[in-house]
Amino acid sequence: MKVSSLRRIGQMLLIPILAVFSALVVGALVMWIFGDDPLAAYRGLLDGAFGSARAWSTTIRKMTPLILTGLSVAVAFKAGLFNIGASGQFIIGTVCSVAVGVNFGGLPAIIHLPLALLAGIAGGMLWGFIPGALKVFTGAHEVIVTIMLNYVASLFAGWTVYAGGTQGQTPGPLWDAAAGPISRTPEVFLNARIPWIFGDPYRVHWGVVLALAVALLMWWVIFKTTLGFATRTVGANNKAARYAGVNVKWITILTMMIAGGLAGLAGAIETLGLNHRFAPEFTGSAGFDGITVALLGQTNPIGVVLSAFLLGALDAGGARMQFNSGVSADIIQIIQALVLIFVAAPTIIRQIYRIRKPSDQVEATVFSSGWGR
Amino acid sequence: MQNKRFAILLSIVAVFTMVLSACTMPAPSAAPEVATEAAGAAAPAPAAAIKIGLVTDVGRVNDRSFNQSAWDGVVEVATALGLTEGEGFKYIETQDSKDYADNIQQFVDAEFNVIVTVGFALGEATIKAAQENPDTYFIGVDQFQGESLPNLTGLVFREDQSGFLAGALAAQLNKSGTIAAVLGTDLVPPVVAYGQGYELGAKYINPDITVLTTYHPGEMSQAFVDPEWGAATAKQALDQKADVIFGAGGQTGNGALQEVASAPGAGTELFCIGVDSDQWETLPAAHPCLVSSAMKLITPSVVDLINAYAADGSMAAGNYFGGAGLAPFHDFEDKIPQEIKDKLNEIATGLADGSLTTGYQP
Repeated sequence: MKVSSLRRIGQMLLIPILAVFSALVVGALVMWIFGDDPLAAYRGLLDGAFGSARAWSTTIRKMTPLILTGLSVAVAFKAGLFNIGASGQFIIGTVCSVAVGVNFGGLPAIIHLPLALLAGIAGGMLWGFIPGALKVFTGAHEVIVTIMLNYVASLFAGWTVYAGGTQGQTPGPLWDAAAGPISRTPEVFLNARIPWIFGDPYRVHWGVVLALAVALLMWWVIFKTTLGFATRTVGANNKAARYAGVNVKWITILTMMIAGGLAGLAGAIETLGLNHRFAPEFTGSAGFDGITVALLGQTNPIGVVLSAFLLGALDAGGARMQFNSGVSADIIQIIQALVLIFVAAPTIIRQIYRIRKPSDQVEATVFSSGWGR
Repeated sequence: MQNKRFAILLSIVAVFTMVLSACTMPAPSAAPEVATEAAGAAAPAPAAAIKIGLVTDVGRVNDRSFNQSAWDGVVEVATALGLTEGEGFKYIETQDSKDYADNIQQFVDAEFNVIVTVGFALGEATIKAAQENPDTYFIGVDQFQGESLPNLTGLVFREDQSGFLAGALAAQLNKSGTIAAVLGTDLVPPVVAYGQGYELGAKYINPDITVLTTYHPGEMSQAFVDPEWGAATAKQALDQKADVIFGAGGQTGNGALQEVASAPGAGTELFCIGVDSDQWETLPAAHPCLVSSAMKLITPSVVDLINAYAADGSMAAGNYFGGAGLAPFHDFEDKIPQEIKDKLNEIATGLADGSLTTGYQP
């Protein structure tokens, strides 16, 4: 029993580790071809991600939203759904939490902060509900719908902070009148901010602890509850699940709502913990990076935390790498893209390293099964 | 068996790559070290202690615009001071607007004593870094300082003066009696300064000239990224017989320039003037009509500021007004009559020594 479970973990880790290793090797080759020094670059990367207290704090700061957007994509995968909409859900979560955060001035922190976080979750859940419901009731594919809703979310968010023009256009409801022509919200009230664990210059807030707790919670839900079992059954075999009496429609909608809520929470935490306001350029790439995180983490919540840590470290180390070695930080994106390619197409890795496909079904086979159902 | 061999082969290749790169790299980096010593010995005493860092706005250091102009200034002054790139001066390209502070911090950690940050968007991060590191000299390019810090210079420009020169050029090229300006939003003071300066400069040459000035009606996030509006507005201006069009407002202005460039008669009867940096370099599509650009002279200003600091450690607190001027005429060098060039030189000299004012009231 123990040996087999160890073997199982080993097999689960094999592909991601080889994928990261291969991506780093290919990344080194790319640098070498362009006449840069890969060793200096990777040394700089390590130094920038872990070399000092400030480096660690940057890694943690970058990792926090990735845990949650990664979970968002991973949870949807468990039900065989491909959530490309974490980006839009993240934005809606941001806007909703800011809307609460800049209003209700007199509330005590114990009410205001949870309320703002819940608003973010609720916004994200709504943004997940739409593609879930459309899939169940009309058959619209969630990939298409979530991609399209990303645009809707981004434009909606832009409208909420729209500063108006010179010809009397109505400004958006969340626009900060004090910002003049700049489209952004005011800062959220102090009582709605996530407190610092380490303040300036480290800027690490309790959101990271919250994100880790949520990851544990999702692990428990997926692997230890009836709901999680039903979800995994739907993901493994939709028809069998139906014969077994699982309400597939309900599970589909619910899973998309949970996925949306997780990405919405990511947006809320990033805003209430770090940025303290919303401006359209703050959205970043956490939503789409969540796909890489989820795949690299083999859609397992614990794996998601590990891969979010890795990608966060890559992001954090980029500046120091560029500083020390002169290698453009673009290489970070190349490495991340290579990681994604290698984990999304494990056959490549198996071919390169001549690994036999495991006979027992330990690896998630849901990556591409979202299509054609 | 074969599988194993393949795996071994691959790891050998991987290791070999690493080793190879490790071996090849020290050679080129050894040479500059020698150079540093030689230069360090030759350079004056204060210069030896100077390290200059530059943080770009999102984009490339060779963007042929603000980033590059500022970096050119750093390279020029650092080379004159005998510094070596990588040791005495270097840059970081910003990938994401959230990383401004982290990138500035890289230079602070490495004890660089002059840090140049390029662009309005880095303003807040630069002020914060300057407050935290009072011994480091910061230069914020295009960052107007509301309150002055002793160790931070906001390098800003007299847009009205370069606009004035553009207007003077336009009025002299003009035959129809009408010229136009297509501008980003009047919510932003520098854009207004360009626009007003352009009108004043045109009227200085020809008091009867009609100047069609149009500002983008949207807010900040739209006003500079709307080439369609710029093109449509330029088209309207052409229909109203304007024959020189000044496009000032990021992509919006570029849309106007491209519209003129594709109109029949571009370069013979119709001309356009770009803005901020030499747009001949940044917008090849406008070549048919682009006679010049109203520039912010970032490079010489950066050189002057760093030279002043290198000489006696002086930091210009508050705002420093950099020079304004026109970009080279490039392909139009031979087509522009000498008398126009002389007139422009006369105006530029007058503006520089104060004997001529644009008349612009902010």
